[in-house]
Amino acid sequence: MFQGSSNPFEIFFYWDEILTGFIMTMWLYGWALVIGFMVGLSLAILRQYGGRFLSPIATTYIEVVRGTPMLVQLWLIYSILLIPLGRWTIYSNFTLFGRDITVVFFNARIIVCIVTLGLNSSAYQAEYLRGAILSVSAGQLIAAQSLGMSKVAGIRHIVLPQALRRVIPSWSNEASYLPKYTVIVSIIGVADIFNQAKNIGFDTLLYFPVYIFVAIIFVILISLISKLLNTIHKRTRIPGL
Amino acid sequence: MVNLEEPVLKVVDLWKSYGKLEVLKGISFELKKQEVKVIFGPSGSGKSTLLRCINMLDPPQKGEVYLSGINLMDKNVNLNKLRSKIGMVFQHFNLFSHLKAIDNVSLGLRRVKGMSKDLAKQKALEALKRVKLADRANHYPAELSGGQQQRVGIARALAMDPEIILFDEPTSALDPELIGEVLQVMLDIAKTGTTMVVVTHEMGFARAVASEMIYIENGLIVERGIPNHFFESPKSERVKHFLRQIDVLYGKHEDLIKIEKEK
Ligand SMILES: Nc1ncnc2c1ncn2[C@@H]1O[C@H](COP(=O)(O)OP(=O)(O)OP(=O)(O)O)[C@@H](O)[C@H]1O
Ligand SMILES: [Mg+2]
Repeated sequence: MFQGSSNPFEIFFYWDEILTGFIMTMWLYGWALVIGFMVGLSLAILRQYGGRFLSPIATTYIEVVRGTPMLVQLWLIYSILLIPLGRWTIYSNFTLFGRDITVVFFNARIIVCIVTLGLNSSAYQAEYLRGAILSVSAGQLIAAQSLGMSKVAGIRHIVLPQALRRVIPSWSNEASYLPKYTVIVSIIGVADIFNQAKNIGFDTLLYFPVYIFVAIIFVILISLISKLLNTIHKRTRIPGL
Repeated sequence: MVNLEEPVLKVVDLWKSYGKLEVLKGISFELKKQEVKVIFGPSGSGKSTLLRCINMLDPPQKGEVYLSGINLMDKNVNLNKLRSKIGMVFQHFNLFSHLKAIDNVSLGLRRVKGMSKDLAKQKALEALKRVKLADRANHYPAELSGGQQQRVGIARALAMDPEIILFDEPTSALDPELIGEVLQVMLDIAKTGTTMVVVTHEMGFARAVASEMIYIENGLIVERGIPNHFFESPKSERVKHFLRQIDVLYGKHEDLIKIEKEK
């Protein structure tokens, strides 16, 4: 009924779709960031301290992931995981301002996306984390060992607390760019904000306004994330340094 | 047979190489309780490597290291535990940058010796008092001068109550005006009976407390003896030459420490 409308504000008639799209984008982003961080930290530690056997494995993983397009990674994981995962959905229904809203948390496609985004991000986060680990002087780990601490304890209590503070400025690149990368999921039909915008555009032909609106949302989101991390960085500063 | 005076540290024929580079070529010496041994020699002669071999942070290829009779080269010993009995003080301090002075000192007590937080803090404060830094306990390393940082480093080693402390050129990264306060602290702990191996070119310190001085060059002990031997009648030309150069190379700091007359 809104086909061919010329009033750009009519995109807001579809606010519920934009909302569920936004929730999906943030949901994927959150998972990708957390998985990327945990896997990335493990990779960074393995690459740095893994020795002759594990270190090259971590290095290879990082280089392969960073060296291939995410689209290829998405298709690969999609074709490996989609069928074994089966058909099921975990979702929630509620009514908001007279609209029935369905938020889907998990299904096979969403898991494919979370795994892809998380594993992809882990390779980048690993490199930021490794840079931060390298910036902690090696002498401190030696000093910890000279006190009788094991190398693992030294890494845990001396290297990581410093590396995790130092990584924040470079890590915030990944944290603030990652929301943009999630739009790739629309390719396999996950209803993120970009996919919803595309559908609204298809219905109304208001492609331009709806994409501009989504762009504005991303700009605001990314600046908020940067600001937040900046504050955290300042709060965790080591006095005197 | 019971050995009443078993050495605290006994190093026997230590060999260490990095690839083709032979760094230590059969070093042996031992220390009794409360002894202070000064090791000196030109840059690259293997002094730091020797200290890292002693606490097995960088194990030697051959030789033996005994700490109060326990062989550290033995495959079955718990090296972490034994290392907690060997203190180490570093040229570049190597303090934990994210921890306050007091936490730098108490960390080992808590994590290695398993002390409660309160007891560890109390012990750490005592150690900081011994290096005259109790008033800087809550400062972070970057808020301290080099001399103060090194004294925290010494307190960190002291607090563990080790059987011996190894010092690797503890004053050579310091501005001349900060060297005195560190040497003074080292002199104090030497006089209160700490067993120490000190790599240093501070001859005033050596003269004051060394029971023996060892001159190392190219991974070999070239000459050893009491301080007076070196200052009055060194045998080898190489040592004479090195001692003549020492003030030029490392600065002349004879009057930096107050040496009390023996009672
Ligand atoms: N981890 C290592 N890998 C390779 N070579 C090393 C290593 N550590 C030391 N070396 C080499 O061993 C030799 C002895 O080094 P070491 O640091 O023990 O000398 P040093 O007597 O302490 O010298 P300085 O007075 O300059 O501190 C040097 O040639 C050094 O380059
Ligand atoms: Mg050295």
